[in-house]
Amino acid sequence: MGETPDTEGRQLAVEARDRVRFEEEALQLADQVYRVARRLVHSKEEAEDLMQETYARAFRSWRSYTPGTNLRAWLLRILTNLNIDRGRRQQRAPDTTHLEESDYFLYNRIQGDASESLDEERVLERLSQDDIVDALAAVPHDFRDVIVLVDIGDFSYQEAAQILDIPVGTVMSRLHRGRRILKRHLAEATVGDGD
Amino acid sequence: MATFDPCAWCEEILQPYLDRHLTERERAEAQSHIDQCGYCAKRYRFESGLRQFVRQAAIEEMDPALKERLAALRTPLL
Repeated sequence: MGETPDTEGRQLAVEARDRVRFEEEALQLADQVYRVARRLVHSKEEAEDLMQETYARAFRSWRSYTPGTNLRAWLLRILTNLNIDRGRRQQRAPDTTHLEESDYFLYNRIQGDASESLDEERVLERLSQDDIVDALAAVPHDFRDVIVLVDIGDFSYQEAAQILDIPVGTVMSRLHRGRRILKRHLAEATVGDGD
Repeated sequence: MATFDPCAWCEEILQPYLDRHLTERERAEAQSHIDQCGYCAKRYRFESGLRQFVRQAAIEEMDPALKERLAALRTPLL
């Protein structure tokens, strides 16, 4: 007698220790997770709600996380799933017009609009922070999710594919098209309001 | 056979180049073309500057109050 409660007690202590460690590690990543979350949705309030739902779910299902794997990617997988579940499906379908433009489109357009030849730095000076944020927000979500994960979250194509549960080839094509859409919006913001 | 246009090829691999998703050989070929071609060099610099600019502009830090709310979601210690 006495042995069973002892073993049980030890197991509970080990589990509590692992759980506390998991929670601390997840909280340390919150700043980085938030930067991505903030650009996946349109408002600060939505991003904060999403963060709270994500962390509540993560803390509940911490046992399904495999220690040693990428915790930031694990958290963002929960977050992107919650975001998709939140019924953003009513958003408009991806805009597929004007995708024949080349990658050099924005540069050529800004350059072509200027009276004198601009160097690259001067071209970028024509863009404000608000231009960038608005242009990114206007990219349809399927494309924006990938841009945000890769360019702001610093995830590899493979990690982005796992987070969004889509093939790597789809990540690459969405990234490519998404960046062109982004540049088209930026071109409209900078030179389109001239006349 | 169609004539090989190094600038068109350079534009095609611009994104994977900037994402560092090229093979070593492709990367070296791109680099040697960029080193010789002012047109592509200028556009690569622009694209890489733009990407940096988007990254900086898009970053918004978390409200410290949110961090406290997240910390409060932890399982209470007995």
